Amino acid sequence: MGMINPIVITAPEKIEFPDLKEIWGFKGLLYFLVKRDLKVRFQQTFIGVFWIVLQPLIQMLIFYVIFGILVQVPTDGIPYTVFYLSGFVAWQLFVQIVNSSAFSLLGNIGIITKVYFPRLALPLSTTIGALIDFLISFVVLLIFLLANHYSITSRYLILPFLVLLTLIFSLGVGLLFGALLVIFRDTKNLLGFILQIWMFITPIIYTISIAPEKYRIFFYLNPMTGLVNAYRWVFLGTNNLPSAIYFTVSLVVAIICLLAGMIAFRTMENRIADVM
Amino acid sequence: MTRLAIKAENVWKEYRIHHNLEGSSSSFKAVLNAPFNWLTGRNRKYSHLQQSEQFVALRDVSFEVEYGDSLGLVGRNGAGKSTLLKILSRITRPSKGKVTLYHHVNALLEVGTGFNTELSGRENVYLNGSFLGMKISEIKQKFDEIVAFSEIEQFIDTPVKYYSSGMFVRLAFSVAVHLTPEILLLDEVLSVGDAGFQHKSQAKMKELLGSGATIILVSHNAQAIRDICKRAIWLDKGAIRMDGAAVSVVEDYGKSVDG
Repeated sequence: MGMINPIVITAPEKIEFPDLKEIWGFKGLLYFLVKRDLKVRFQQTFIGVFWIVLQPLIQMLIFYVIFGILVQVPTDGIPYTVFYLSGFVAWQLFVQIVNSSAFSLLGNIGIITKVYFPRLALPLSTTIGALIDFLISFVVLLIFLLANHYSITSRYLILPFLVLLTLIFSLGVGLLFGALLVIFRDTKNLLGFILQIWMFITPIIYTISIAPEKYRIFFYLNPMTGLVNAYRWVFLGTNNLPSAIYFTVSLVVAIICLLAGMIAFRTMENRIADVM
Repeated sequence: MTRLAIKAENVWKEYRIHHNLEGSSSSFKAVLNAPFNWLTGRNRKYSHLQQSEQFVALRDVSFEVEYGDSLGLVGRNGAGKSTLLKILSRITRPSKGKVTLYHHVNALLEVGTGFNTELSGRENVYLNGSFLGMKISEIKQKFDEIVAFSEIEQFIDTPVKYYSSGMFVRLAFSVAVHLTPEILLLDEVLSVGDAGFQHKSQAKMKELLGSGATIILVSHNAQAIRDICKRAIWLDKGAIRMDGAAVSVVEDYGKSVDG
């Protein structure tokens, strides 16, 4: 109880940035949102936690059969199972964050129009949820790696940094789509296609080595290229760790995406309660 | 120390209403079609940009509320009561003007915001409480009181989907009134539960007022406004028509509605 710093409410500015300090004050809400999503997901799905494990496994199996056995896409000599699985575990983290952040404003419209809280808490909570899923599928991947005689090396030390970079980029892309969905409701069907195309321009079912050297910079404009390659370097010891220049390009793109996403999201959260 | 709780200065709120043929607020399709339509001359007079019109929900509204005051908002449907409450509760922002909140505000525009029917009553108390801005420690401290007030002790660990609507509303309302807000904004939520529970909620409102909290209440129920509020503001087409003692504002407003 007692005095707080007076809160001044005025018309929204053209460009605003989310108040990150305020979100820290709502960390309790974040905690309960993550807990709610986990609980509801596990209560509703009959197979619960197995679904998280099954998703990348089924995806791996499909690609193993199509691209491994039938088409025989070269994987630089890496066993297909761990090659695909390592790519999908990273890709799944990206897709899950993009999808959930993109729908965080529209999907929670009932709450947004009834109570104030920093709206960024919604995509942040689903991002944490995606991270928990990633940890589970990471364990599955580890089992496959060990079964294929790969060992855990000191390369794993950079894994937290890779995950952080994935979070930054995915959240940025997701927030940008979230803002777009508020303006154009009919883009929501488009998102699925975009993500599908995006997966094929990212070296997940093939290796970057099939791209001619002079065109590689275009691949690295997509930060997921550098990230997937770096994940594979950590897990499989492949020699396609992106060079410093490529990595810097990816890093810069990722950070720009996050900043742009936050601004776009903040601008749209001012509007969403009005356009309903 | 200032005794002001809320200060609203020349607040305007304008909404843009879209009249798209598709019926949605705006669409990507319309944007893609716009240059094509312009080139072919089709629909030129209904171009995308011209398909919206302004609706003014609040016109130059200014007022001050002192700490511990109880203010009722009356007016016809569409007079701007809910819009004003949404601005005060920070759900939407004004188009022009400025509102200053000097104390912690909690708005109760709906009971059970963020309730998830898959979760138990206990989990929903924590979730709802944190949506309303309470800290975990605060919720923990008040938990027993919240449950006792709602009268659903034996079902607190049952998923909410098995609750009757009365049980649901009692629990949701109970969380809200135990927030110890310094400024409480209420939108027609007094009419929840059975007569006994309504009586209990009104008593709780008065207890909050007695403890010095500030209350702003939107209600169609003239009796509730007279009982709880000392002061009332009558909004008419987005502007303040009358601001004064609740008894006389409610009376004049009642006359205009009947006449």
